[in-house]
Amino acid sequence: MSSTADATKSVPPPPPPPPQPAHVPNSNLAHMNPLPPSVFTLPQTAQLEALYTIIRDKETSRGDFLFYSDRIIRLLVEEGLNHLPVVARTVETPTGATYNGVGFEGKICGVSILRAGEAMEAGLREVCRSVRIGKILIQRDEETTLPKLFYSKFPQDIAQRYVLLLDPMLATGGSAIKAVEVLMDHGVPEERIIFINLIAAPEGLTTFTKRFPSLKVITGWIDEGLNDKAYIIPGLGDFGERRQVSFFYFP
Amino acid sequence: MPDDFVKSPSYLSVSPEVIQSTPALQPKKNTVLVSHGRPPWYAEDGQRIADAFVIGVAGGSASGKTHVARQIVRRLGSIPTVIILSQDSFYKYHNEEELKLAHANMLDFDHPDAIDMPMFASCLSDLKACKQSNIPVYSFAEHQRLEETKYLYGATIIIAEGIMALVDPALRALYDLKVFVQCDSDLMLARRIKRDVKERGRDVGGILDQYLRYVKPSYDTFVRPSASHADIIVPGSNNDVAIDLICTHIRQQLQERSNKFRQKIAIPHKYLSSRSGASTPDPRPEDLELDITLLPQTRQVQGIYSILRDRTTSRQDFVFFTDRLSTLLVEHALQHLPYAPKTVITPIGMDAHGKKLDAHHICGVAILRSGGALERGFRRVINDVPVGSLLIQSDSTSGEALLLHSMLPTYVRQRHLAKDTYVFLLDAQIGTAAAAFMAIRVLLDHGVKEDHIIFVTFLVARTGGVSVLKGAFPSVKIVCGAIDNEMQEGWLEGYKGEGNTEGKGRKVWVMKPGMGQIGDRYYL
Repeated sequence: MSSTADATKSVPPPPPPPPQPAHVPNSNLAHMNPLPPSVFTLPQTAQLEALYTIIRDKETSRGDFLFYSDRIIRLLVEEGLNHLPVVARTVETPTGATYNGVGFEGKICGVSILRAGEAMEAGLREVCRSVRIGKILIQRDEETTLPKLFYSKFPQDIAQRYVLLLDPMLATGGSAIKAVEVLMDHGVPEERIIFINLIAAPEGLTTFTKRFPSLKVITGWIDEGLNDKAYIIPGLGDFGERRQVSFFYFP
Repeated sequence: MPDDFVKSPSYLSVSPEVIQSTPALQPKKNTVLVSHGRPPWYAEDGQRIADAFVIGVAGGSASGKTHVARQIVRRLGSIPTVIILSQDSFYKYHNEEELKLAHANMLDFDHPDAIDMPMFASCLSDLKACKQSNIPVYSFAEHQRLEETKYLYGATIIIAEGIMALVDPALRALYDLKVFVQCDSDLMLARRIKRDVKERGRDVGGILDQYLRYVKPSYDTFVRPSASHADIIVPGSNNDVAIDLICTHIRQQLQERSNKFRQKIAIPHKYLSSRSGASTPDPRPEDLELDITLLPQTRQVQGIYSILRDRTTSRQDFVFFTDRLSTLLVEHALQHLPYAPKTVITPIGMDAHGKKLDAHHICGVAILRSGGALERGFRRVINDVPVGSLLIQSDSTSGEALLLHSMLPTYVRQRHLAKDTYVFLLDAQIGTAAAAFMAIRVLLDHGVKEDHIIFVTFLVARTGGVSVLKGAFPSVKIVCGAIDNEMQEGWLEGYKGEGNTEGKGRKVWVMKPGMGQIGDRYYL
């Protein structure tokens, strides 16, 4: 933000600290206690639980799924943005008073992990107007069964930006780890990546945060775990399928 | 009052109860007539200070009741809100048999039993108590009460008119003034023949037949004797002097009430301790304990407020960040709704134990203009939600809040729904709290429960009217994003619009540091 008003008259208070790791009672901490210090959840309120109940329900229509998952995504992005740095900034209000506030610092961009991550872009853009968005496609290599990078496209100056990495479901963490590796290959430091995710399995969270301890993870809800097919339980099914995101990047 | 009340030829405005429901013949009946805004009708404790003033006007068919009612409305001049409630609306629902008789002109509409007196009395009693009423709609063409109802709310004066208006004791008990319009039978008959022939193409024989069979006996048996209950008997023609007398009486009555209650009327800013132009003293300790739900002051929220408070922020940015902030506020406000446990099955066949919203109905009401700035965020959070509006502006001379227009959602209009409805009141800020006070009173009048009202706003002035508001309505939830310390009396340079076509400046209370005129910055 530009044109900071003259702040010599009064010393503005220091900007508020970034959010601290959650140590409030957390209804789903039962699934993961304690949380790794780099993991942050949304406040586990009744209204958030009601949102998750709607999107978990297999009877929920696609329209409702879109509406309610967008609401969670907006909240997650808002929470993620709170980890970005701010600077003290004094402004003059229309009433002629001065207000000691804060200004946003640093450029950001979004990176969605295809396909499901793409569904989070609309929510991101509602909070961060016209933000640049890169994309990564990672799929399981049929020969090695390891995640393999198929495609990536990033803003040119991504190394100078904070990156909000978007993937709705964190199950084993394989593709998320691969995506972070790709970002780091493009020069983005680990601590400038914020991973934003709707539902995480404790297994995936553990693997991911051990590998990247200084990368912040914002997750809406931590579920029980994985079943033998590596689906999150109770989960919400296939996020991309339920939003019917269908993109054909490859023949 | 609009002059078209009285410009219709006199023979058209003499006998409402048998006139066909052609709109041109019944202008503005059963409608809240507004001359200017409605000033506060409640005291600082939030309670209503007076009932509406109710006048009953009875008299024979074609005696000139409607004319008298309209003349009263016109002579009273600057009375804010008046309803002329017609007895015609309260004809009973007819069964098949009665319907056949009615179409053959064989049903006696001039008997007291033809009218649903208990319903008439209950509607009138609700209106008198400043509640809303959904009165029935009767179609003369179909000779039947229709499914639809007509919503009425907010009258200071109610004129109930009809041939039987003084017959029923329950009705009589509701009137503050009872008027009987006395007219010679031959004059009434002459007017009736003239009107029915001209307006309905009926033949004189048929009219006389109906007159002798129903109208005349009913008049002699029920209507004329009810004149003994009247406080004043008005001649059916050349009655200017009588109407003047009535109006003088009404004005005097209203003045007395007003004098009695003047000091008690809730004008929250008069409790503010600020002198003109000076800033308010430090907040008193009790103010700091106000039960207000404040949005967590995260970096993003503070950053958004810094942008919104900055006078150099472009309108484009202002709108974007206002929408973002209102979304967060409404999300945060949802904690005041009730939730119940619910178990669902996920697509992979697992049970998931969660919660569901446990509220019957939810709607929003924006206090215009600046409350409209929260509407976008509200709709982003609550799907498919009805949003109504209240246009409340402050009077430029007295500073009193004036209710200029209300457009409430069905959930609020219908009393039986209102009691289970959660209402989000949206307004940009609570400064003097005058508008908030009035809006909450409107909802309570409609039967919304106090603890079902959630007031969502960007800014609250700690030293403003919010403590008076909380004192009057302790159960109303207030959710805001920031609390400012100061209220300052200032002069607002004129903007055109806002009921101020000349763009005159006015004295206002502004919050400091504040966000400026949020409505202007969002809309203009």
